Amino acid sequence: MKGSVNFPIIDSAVRFRSGGGAFKVMEWLKEAKTWGIVHSVAAPPDEFVAVYNERGNELMAGVVKRYPRRFSGLAVANPWYGKKAVTLLRKAFDAGLSGLYLHPGRQGFHLTESIVNPLVRVCLEYGKPVYSYTGTPVCCMPFQLAELARRFPRVSFVLGHFAWSDFCGYDVIPACKQAPNIYIETSCATGGMVRAALDALGPERILFGSGYPRSLPEHEFEKIRPLKLPDDVLRRYFTENAKRLWQVPL
Amino acid sequence: MKIIDTHTHFPGHAFGMKPKKGAQLREEFKAEGFHGAWIMTTDGLLSDPARHNNLLYEGVRNDLDFFTPFCTVNPHDGAARAVKELERCAGLLSMKGLKLHSWLQSFSLSHPAVEPILRRASELGLPVLLHDGTPPYSTPLQIASVAERVPGTTVILGHSWLDDLWEDAILAANRHRNIFLCLCSLSAGAIREIIRRVPPERLLFGSDSGFGPGLGKAAIAKIRGAGASARTRKLIFSGNAMRLLKNESGK
Repeated sequence: MKGSVNFPIIDSAVRFRSGGGAFKVMEWLKEAKTWGIVHSVAAPPDEFVAVYNERGNELMAGVVKRYPRRFSGLAVANPWYGKKAVTLLRKAFDAGLSGLYLHPGRQGFHLTESIVNPLVRVCLEYGKPVYSYTGTPVCCMPFQLAELARRFPRVSFVLGHFAWSDFCGYDVIPACKQAPNIYIETSCATGGMVRAALDALGPERILFGSGYPRSLPEHEFEKIRPLKLPDDVLRRYFTENAKRLWQVPL
Repeated sequence: MKIIDTHTHFPGHAFGMKPKKGAQLREEFKAEGFHGAWIMTTDGLLSDPARHNNLLYEGVRNDLDFFTPFCTVNPHDGAARAVKELERCAGLLSMKGLKLHSWLQSFSLSHPAVEPILRRASELGLPVLLHDGTPPYSTPLQIASVAERVPGTTVILGHSWLDDLWEDAILAANRHRNIFLCLCSLSAGAIREIIRRVPPERLLFGSDSGFGPGLGKAAIAKIRGAGASARTRKLIFSGNAMRLLKNESGK
């Protein structure tokens, strides 16, 4: 789509790769520039998601402070750290991070388990969304996210990577119908599945994501092109929905 | 560059598909950029394999210079009956490979009929392409455990385990020389890593085409964008497929 849309592209699904205990920020900025992505919602690499939460949040806050117009940063707090995780999350939001990133497969919990509730309550208190990696059985399937979303109807949730691969064609749309506070981030799934989500749920609940580095921007743009979506839908998909959800300063 | 898609589906009525004639499908696949396609039944994975093997053969028999049909059998029919159907397909219907789908056909790779079916496939010179990527019956190491018991059989992981366990698919392929990975429906980042870490002689191109338009072009773009050498791309797009079927054209 690069070059064919005349509004800013916001990418709601970037994970920095790690190197030497830091984030490879420049690597992503180069990629984003290539594809005309003006703003990225980024989460830390796996080791920071699973274990080194505090360091991950500090690094992410540093990135956002340095590039406020280029990045919104997601905070990490492994629910198994209990009260410490709650404290970490408050600190991260106070430092300017834009939402909570959950990865149940890496962090070792199920989305339906109550240990995640205190963290979601912090999101409710701060008005921040929750992005969850989804699609991996047995811990982060669409109906599990819907269950959590129904538990917290005033918190916005993002169903990451369209629950690719095992559940995207079957469970995602029924799950999203259960809970109107779920957005779908579309990386990894096919263009046909994006079309199905638009038809079933309308254009307000889908978010463009490159899924980097799991997927790549080139593929994520190319799969949308054949859908021939009208400009007002593309604007919501690439810009407006994410801008509103993440409160992007564009 | 010649492109042979080793993972396509013959549309029937399942999954909202509509039946198509071989000639029409051939034109659609050519438009995707393919020069040939290994094609497998879809409806036959859900019921009555023999009937759908026949329908597949009838559907593509006039286009065998483009399509390479793969049959299916159901292990739940028992080893003897399944092997008999396999032999019928390899002989009467000139099928060149076997497709098994442990998710849709609801069998474990440890089902006692699986090993004899795979052994007979090897004796008949048929590679076996297995759906993988859907737990609990199709993980890479489950498939690897069967592949280890039938080292003479070419075993293809039809999706390199999609996204969750592609690391396991790499382990399986690097441990067992009879395992091939089909780079079908994986995310681009996983494809890039697999190409970097698995011998290129054991990688195949696939797209799941038949399920809808555009899948082929998207899959080709993922391979082209993976940073592979020209030699590796050639092997993936057609060289390995041709070698597996032991003829020059790969068809």
